[in-house]
Amino acid sequence: MKCIFKNKRISSIIVVAPSQEYRFDDEYAFYKMTEAQAKRFKKMMSLDRHRIAPPEVCASDLALFGLQQLLDDGVLKKEEINALLFVSQTPDYVIPPTSNVIHGKLGLGHDVICMDINQGCAGFLAGLMQAFLLLGMEAVSKVVLLTADTGSKQMDRGNRVSYPLNGDAAAATIIERCSEEKTIHMDIKNDGSRYKAIIVPGGAYRMPSSPETLKLQEMEEGVVRSLEHVHMDGAAVFNFTMDDIPPQIEDVMAFSGDTRESIQHFFLHQPNPFIVTQMAQKMKIPQAKVPNNVVSLYGNCSSTTVPMNIALNCSEPLLAGTRHVCLSGFGVGLTWISAVMDLGPLTVCKIVDYKPN
Amino acid sequence: MNFIFRRKRIAGVLVVVPENERSFSEDMKNFNFPEARSLKLKEVMGFDKRRVVKPGVCVSDLAVFGLEHLMGEGLLKRDEIDALLLVTQTPDHLMPATSSLIQGRLGLKQDILCLDINQACAGFVIGLMQAFMLLEQESVNKVVLINADVLSRKTSPKDRNIYPLIGDAASIVVVERDPEDSVIHASLKMDGSRAGALIIPAGGLRLPSSPETAHLEEVGDNNLRAKDHVFMDGSAIFNFVQTEVPPLIENLLARAGVASEAVDYFLCHQPNRFMLEKLADKMKVPYARMPNNVVEHFGNNGSVTIPTVMAYNLRERLLREQLQVCLAAYGGGLAWSAMLLKLGKLAFNTIIEYK
Amino acid sequence: MNYMDKTEFNQRLAAILDVEEVKPDNVLKDFDSWDSLAILSVLAMADAQYGVSIKAEEIRSVVTAEDLVRLVEAKRK
Repeated sequence: MKCIFKNKRISSIIVVAPSQEYRFDDEYAFYKMTEAQAKRFKKMMSLDRHRIAPPEVCASDLALFGLQQLLDDGVLKKEEINALLFVSQTPDYVIPPTSNVIHGKLGLGHDVICMDINQGCAGFLAGLMQAFLLLGMEAVSKVVLLTADTGSKQMDRGNRVSYPLNGDAAAATIIERCSEEKTIHMDIKNDGSRYKAIIVPGGAYRMPSSPETLKLQEMEEGVVRSLEHVHMDGAAVFNFTMDDIPPQIEDVMAFSGDTRESIQHFFLHQPNPFIVTQMAQKMKIPQAKVPNNVVSLYGNCSSTTVPMNIALNCSEPLLAGTRHVCLSGFGVGLTWISAVMDLGPLTVCKIVDYKPN
Repeated sequence: MNFIFRRKRIAGVLVVVPENERSFSEDMKNFNFPEARSLKLKEVMGFDKRRVVKPGVCVSDLAVFGLEHLMGEGLLKRDEIDALLLVTQTPDHLMPATSSLIQGRLGLKQDILCLDINQACAGFVIGLMQAFMLLEQESVNKVVLINADVLSRKTSPKDRNIYPLIGDAASIVVVERDPEDSVIHASLKMDGSRAGALIIPAGGLRLPSSPETAHLEEVGDNNLRAKDHVFMDGSAIFNFVQTEVPPLIENLLARAGVASEAVDYFLCHQPNRFMLEKLADKMKVPYARMPNNVVEHFGNNGSVTIPTVMAYNLRERLLREQLQVCLAAYGGGLAWSAMLLKLGKLAFNTIIEYK
Repeated sequence: MNYMDKTEFNQRLAAILDVEEVKPDNVLKDFDSWDSLAILSVLAMADAQYGVSIKAEEIRSVVTAEDLVRLVEAKRK
């Protein structure tokens, strides 16, 4: 589905990571890897460290912390928030929506639209789409988009293919109307026939929670999982990233009348650095334009990876001026969404550690 | 928050209810209340029959069944669907989104938006608003809005406050552009400070499901419930509806410059007959113009009650003529909303049974 | 279609598996390092070096190194 949005912009991004940092070198004993295997894995996936939230901290806590910072710093006033979007696959509850819970905690007024969006790695882009749609309504001038996940709680510590790559994080992004035309071009695609590629089989209505679904099983060596954990088919995901994303990015560049040269940065979702390198090569985009360090420093933060990528790699230029960028999020669903837009100047563009009082 | 939408219409309404029916008299046997008291509740609230899914049936099953019916009848073409919206609080999985599953099962095109919207009883109006917003995009010509829940599967048989009222269902509404210069007025308000009025405490990440959360607990007032079960604070919701909904509708009608008498029908969410009669009294609307019989035939099927009213009470009329209707949807969140629009003639407006 | 140099392919495969050499009749599962990482590397190699997209199901049905070579060759046609 192709979309065009005008007179809308991102004005601030704040990313929140748990302060607890763990290094691969200290953790690999848990994965039952030999030193040789660990070395190989570390090298291929460029692993170094990642952030994991403590047990009592939920995704919404990280998100709320970021939003509260923006309020405390005077970047945003409570009365200005017309819509609150919460993108997550690790919500506080299934009922009620977590955006409503956050609304209550902040004591916002009644004239606010709260919406939970169930998306994973395409989530920042899905949230942007929703924000832009809402900003088309006269009553909506400012939207707060929260992306947040504690993926660590949906996997076992002993899962060597998932745990080392996972990062918990959240971001609060302010999106608003602007007087400049600032056209945004976006393309959205879905393929639910491949839904098994990334799935949590149990815990909802298809397979309700039971002692069976909670039982840990060793699926293959070093991959310990329950039915309530994320099951990911790495090869199917690889096929997806190589076959489906590059044509979409080509397509959206043609849609916006851009080329590899006219786009200054490609902020892609990062399943792992290996895949991103392959994708950049396949699309013949210079690696310098495709930052690829989120997983090494923070882990794969699901829908927060794209804003993390932006804040980690481009905050100075974006605080100072405007860049013409391509954003792309892709993953569970399977869903893939890419957009070309101007980004910046931003009022806030930073990463902070979660430090509750 | 107020909205105006132009040149959008509902093209057709299909409601899918499970074939399986339960009666209040059966349900009553599980409660810790004397029969006489339970019968009194039945009379006042208007409980009688409700439709619930058999174990294992999920929202995507009801949705796929309904969509296949529409496609089979030539009422909808597979490739015409530009966006698939699913309003549900009872998804098949925590991930992926159930709308993606439906897209996959039906082999819909890849060039499509699939979006799950987590909303309770305000979900029909909120879903319509989302559809109308999407139709502002040039590439979007047809949106399929599905409202569906299988909440009965999370109710405690020993909780009289909720067990006998909940029905399961799905509705499929096709939304498209209107060649006429039509105007739709809508209002939406939310209050998350009262989010606890409708909640399943366990099953999310705040309190993951475990053998402990499946355990039935005495919750006072003679009911038994587990943390895995849905809790509804009936009296808090009743008070909220009585206080907030009439002014919301009044303001909406005033903004639209339409008198209450000019509204052919008030199609309100149907928690139970008692609440609707009280609402009608407060708004000085005759019961004939505010249908209130969905619960006694189908149960309170969440965000599907409004399309159920359309297909059950106004089946023929909406196929033949255009009516001015005011929708009002309110409930968990808390969220409350209203929408004034012309409805009909519909291409289809019917209820079918899921077997 | 370009001629596919099987020796070169097997050398690349040996590098992925971290061994001296790979013979056509070697069973892939017998290699210590034939794991999900190796599979990803093979998929990447097939795409980057040979321009073919191997599907997840296809690689799971491959038994020997020769099977893998034949799979890539067939896709190049």
